[in-house]
Amino acid sequence: MKNRDFIFFVGPSLVAMFVCIAIPLMFVLEQSFFVNKKVYKEVEVESCVAGFTGQICSVEMQTKPQLDEKGEIITQKEFVGLESYERLINFDAVKKAFWQQNFLELENVKFFSALRFTVTFCLITLPFVIILGLVIALTVNNLLSSLKGPIIFVSLLPFIITPIIGALSIRWLFVGDGIITAFLEWLTNSNISMFSNSWTLELMMILYRIWHVCPFAFIVFYAGLQTINKEMLESAIVDGANRYHRLRFIIIPHLMPLIVFVSLIHLMDSYRVFEEIIAFSSDAYVISLQWLTYDFLRLDDTGNRYISSASASSILTMIGISILLYPLIKKTWNDYREGKL
Amino acid sequence: MSFLDASNQPFALKAFSTLFILVWCVIACFPLLWITIMSLKLPLDAFDSNFFNVLVGPVTLQLKNGVSVASILAISLFSMYFYSRRQRLRNYLRASIGYSEDVTLFLFILLLYIFCCISISIIFSKFFDAYLGLFGAKIFGFTLDHYHAVWTERGFSLFFKNSLIVTSGVVIISLSLGTLAGYGLARKESSIAFWILIIALIFRALPHSVLVAGYLPFFMKSNAILSPIFGEFAPILYGQPLAVILVLVAINQPFTIWLMRSFFQNIPKELDEAARIDGCSHFQAFRKIIIPVMWPGVITTGLFSFMLGYNDYLVCSLLLDGQNQTMVPSITGLFNRDTSTTDEIVAIAAAVSITAPLFFIVLIFQKQIVSGLTAGAVKG
Amino acid sequence: MKLKSIIAILTATFISTSVWGGHHACDYKNKEELTMLSNSYDAWKAVTNAMASCGNFTATLDKDFQQKHSDALAANPSLYDIVGISNGSITPLINAGTVRPLDDLVKKYGSQLLPNQLIKIDGKIMAIAMSVNNQHMMYREDIFSKLGISEPKTWSDVLSAAEKIKASGMVEYPYGGAFKSGWNIAEEFVNMYLGNGGSFFGSGNAPAINNAMGVKSLETLKKLTAYMDPEYLASDSTYAQKQMQQEKIAMGVLWATRAAAMDNAEESKVVGKIKMVSAPMGDARPASSLWWDGIAIAKNISDAEAEAAFQVIMEGIDKEMVKANNDKAVWLIDGYKAGKSAMGAKMTADNGAVPYPSGTRMGAMHGALGTVVPDFLTGKKSAKETLAAIEDAYIAKAKEQGLM
Repeated sequence: MKNRDFIFFVGPSLVAMFVCIAIPLMFVLEQSFFVNKKVYKEVEVESCVAGFTGQICSVEMQTKPQLDEKGEIITQKEFVGLESYERLINFDAVKKAFWQQNFLELENVKFFSALRFTVTFCLITLPFVIILGLVIALTVNNLLSSLKGPIIFVSLLPFIITPIIGALSIRWLFVGDGIITAFLEWLTNSNISMFSNSWTLELMMILYRIWHVCPFAFIVFYAGLQTINKEMLESAIVDGANRYHRLRFIIIPHLMPLIVFVSLIHLMDSYRVFEEIIAFSSDAYVISLQWLTYDFLRLDDTGNRYISSASASSILTMIGISILLYPLIKKTWNDYREGKL
Repeated sequence: MSFLDASNQPFALKAFSTLFILVWCVIACFPLLWITIMSLKLPLDAFDSNFFNVLVGPVTLQLKNGVSVASILAISLFSMYFYSRRQRLRNYLRASIGYSEDVTLFLFILLLYIFCCISISIIFSKFFDAYLGLFGAKIFGFTLDHYHAVWTERGFSLFFKNSLIVTSGVVIISLSLGTLAGYGLARKESSIAFWILIIALIFRALPHSVLVAGYLPFFMKSNAILSPIFGEFAPILYGQPLAVILVLVAINQPFTIWLMRSFFQNIPKELDEAARIDGCSHFQAFRKIIIPVMWPGVITTGLFSFMLGYNDYLVCSLLLDGQNQTMVPSITGLFNRDTSTTDEIVAIAAAVSITAPLFFIVLIFQKQIVSGLTAGAVKG
Repeated sequence: MKLKSIIAILTATFISTSVWGGHHACDYKNKEELTMLSNSYDAWKAVTNAMASCGNFTATLDKDFQQKHSDALAANPSLYDIVGISNGSITPLINAGTVRPLDDLVKKYGSQLLPNQLIKIDGKIMAIAMSVNNQHMMYREDIFSKLGISEPKTWSDVLSAAEKIKASGMVEYPYGGAFKSGWNIAEEFVNMYLGNGGSFFGSGNAPAINNAMGVKSLETLKKLTAYMDPEYLASDSTYAQKQMQQEKIAMGVLWATRAAAMDNAEESKVVGKIKMVSAPMGDARPASSLWWDGIAIAKNISDAEAEAAFQVIMEGIDKEMVKANNDKAVWLIDGYKAGKSAMGAKMTADNGAVPYPSGTRMGAMHGALGTVVPDFLTGKKSAKETLAAIEDAYIAKAKEQGLM
């Protein structure tokens, strides 16, 4: 394809990605080095508020932001260098942890506890999703074809459901004396509260995520199984290869690119873990990196957003995912150079 | 397929895999089924810790409405009959209407089925239940009050409209851009194409909050920033569903490009090259040769775009105002007003309402998804 | 299944209605399209329903309203015409100048208002108060009298009562409260700390909570959690209310606006069994703070809209509404008769509870408390460490805002 045609086809997407992704990223990087401070002044305010029996009037000194002539709050943009990063990472705590070789201490820094959870979450769910997806795909592939349709449909349900609603539906099963908690309590004759420990919350999030994603792995693997070379399998059977050998030496190698594909997508998606935190309201126990940024971005009760902190945490989050994906991207790159792609 | 032929399997393996798939199916659909049941009950039943009380709903039965065993039996018998005859019905319809579009036909059959089920239950409750003795007694309580509340009182129809706008915008824009780009990348043999793909992959990996952190300050102040260009008409982008489309398209674009590209790679090059030899330009070849055969891939990719746009919580909740939300983030709004347990069931009813369109879309497009993925949309 | 309800569902999908049914009659026929954002408890439902009867009015009720209204009102034109506010949430709006003075409108249309309802800041009326609110003790009179426990007056009374109730096994958990991480648990700390006589700031907006009173407040909270549902950090006011209604807890310090719901037969199994009394005493005063709820009008809307909005508000908080919803709040409106459910709120105020110390810096402090206090309750940090971490979190926020 000539370059002119290539630009015609690919150009619109490239422009869209540049304008809508690359430029905002540069803004984020810039914002992380600056803060927008409001200009405050101490003023004496006389106020009268409603009391039970009558008004309570008082005069007190209050810190109020200054307004300009258009009635908008005056802000000053100030370069702060790495201060926002410092606040997130807390270099002193890191140094201390290194000196004392006590990395558990870092859990006290919100960013590190979020990082710890996010990374373990990605790595624990990955093998389960792949293996379970593969087993379901193999089993469904064996079914009578009249059963396949309905079972594929049912299997896809957890994947298509809106993540936050999927997580909420799990929450309703477990919260308080929810139906499953009640059942487990009856079974074990003990008092179970899934939402009061960080480990139970993490366990629930992991189970939920496996439930949610393994249909995706399943459908991709199932599609892959349909393209398998039947003659090769037949000749393997003639050669006396048993089930395990066929799986190990024919099916899995055939599905390998798909396994890499699913792993890649799954790592990216589970690194974004967020909806679970909201749906399980687990922020007192467990938070994720994306939730941390979200928390800085939403308004707090004083009507402030912490854009600078949010940007700094975004940049750190991005560095994290790049490190996590490096091996897989490198593999893609190698495959490409060897002409496999 | 002989290699995995069920008849060749040893009994233990067969038994195990049947059991496994049964357990999986129960796990897969139980939470959804359960919230659907809860949404039909009054709070005292829905939050009961006894399984059967939630299922049967004694309080709801007493205060509201119920269905009888007979009508449930009738509906399930009818469903089984309907399912076994679906192929014949499809052929009959196809012949009589002369209509061949699979998807529309399926939708029609689905609606027909739902209509029949509803009619059966009405007929039973109005005419038969009274004469059927024990079988006619209403035992499963249900009420549609919560759905009524969601859709009429809580402004859910507005949220539904917004979701429709945002989702269709995302699907249309990202598919049209992504199809072109995917085709271009599949047919270009140079490392530029590869680098573009790698960059797209990295963009795909970005957590969405990173992008929102870049958009939010701009959206809040967009009228001041854009006023040199648009003058007085410079819009505030914050709170505009149309502006959210832009962000979601940006988020979605990398994945669309990847999927479409690997799909086009599996369409033999010879097809469009033959057309080019006949004197077509690349664009003409694309229009005449590729467009007619690309639909399975487009539907699969479109479904992923649809899910991204429809399911998004984070972007919409940060960039839209509570009053003008899409459906998914509005669910937390519903929770946030739960001062009574009734409100909580209303939120559950909303959750079920949000899921329903997804449910139908997968029901309709299931075949296309599998065939689209099989046709190569996932070749890595 | 009734055909009528099916048709209703089907049509509801296509038709959007904004006015929900109310029996309130409105004397003012509203022509402007008006919108409102407010908190969501029953009192607000009553008021917004009454306002809706004037026509062309839509209300968004949201527990997180205070995280939304700053931006929404700063937009021009404002996204809402009317906002429901409280003493805690009005500060950012006053600071940003996004609500308008109401003096002229009060003069013209506000003859029904009592002097106590006019919230004045710097001499100008900025909001109309409709009710007062605080957190106070609610307990199961039947359980207490059966076990021979007298009314708990101090926190040690509460703890010993909890111990006895726990031993008796009459309810699942003796105590319940709004301990949800974030705003709620921060409010619990603020109440305890105020009750112990603490003040939050030193000079120059520096935090001043790392002291004996802070430690004591934290420890009282932690002792209480031993008698609570272990999922207390996910328990908001509604959850606690539900626990009380479902006979799961025997006592709790809950918002006055929740009192009426205990006697609502449709949801509650404890009708007539709950007694409302003052919040337990800390070292200095009751561990509670006084709040008011009220209504303000956005600045960035036209004067005609503001005038219509004010008249609709006056309809929403009139005698008729109060008469129909007397027990849903401690109303400040003419015609209110303090009933049984208001007793707890009144006793708490009489015992000397102070107003919530709202302000810009308090907002930052409240936010810091909400994220760090849970670390103490879950045992991640000691009391001293927690207080130091709260101060650090506050300083970080104050610095990014420019307060320090």
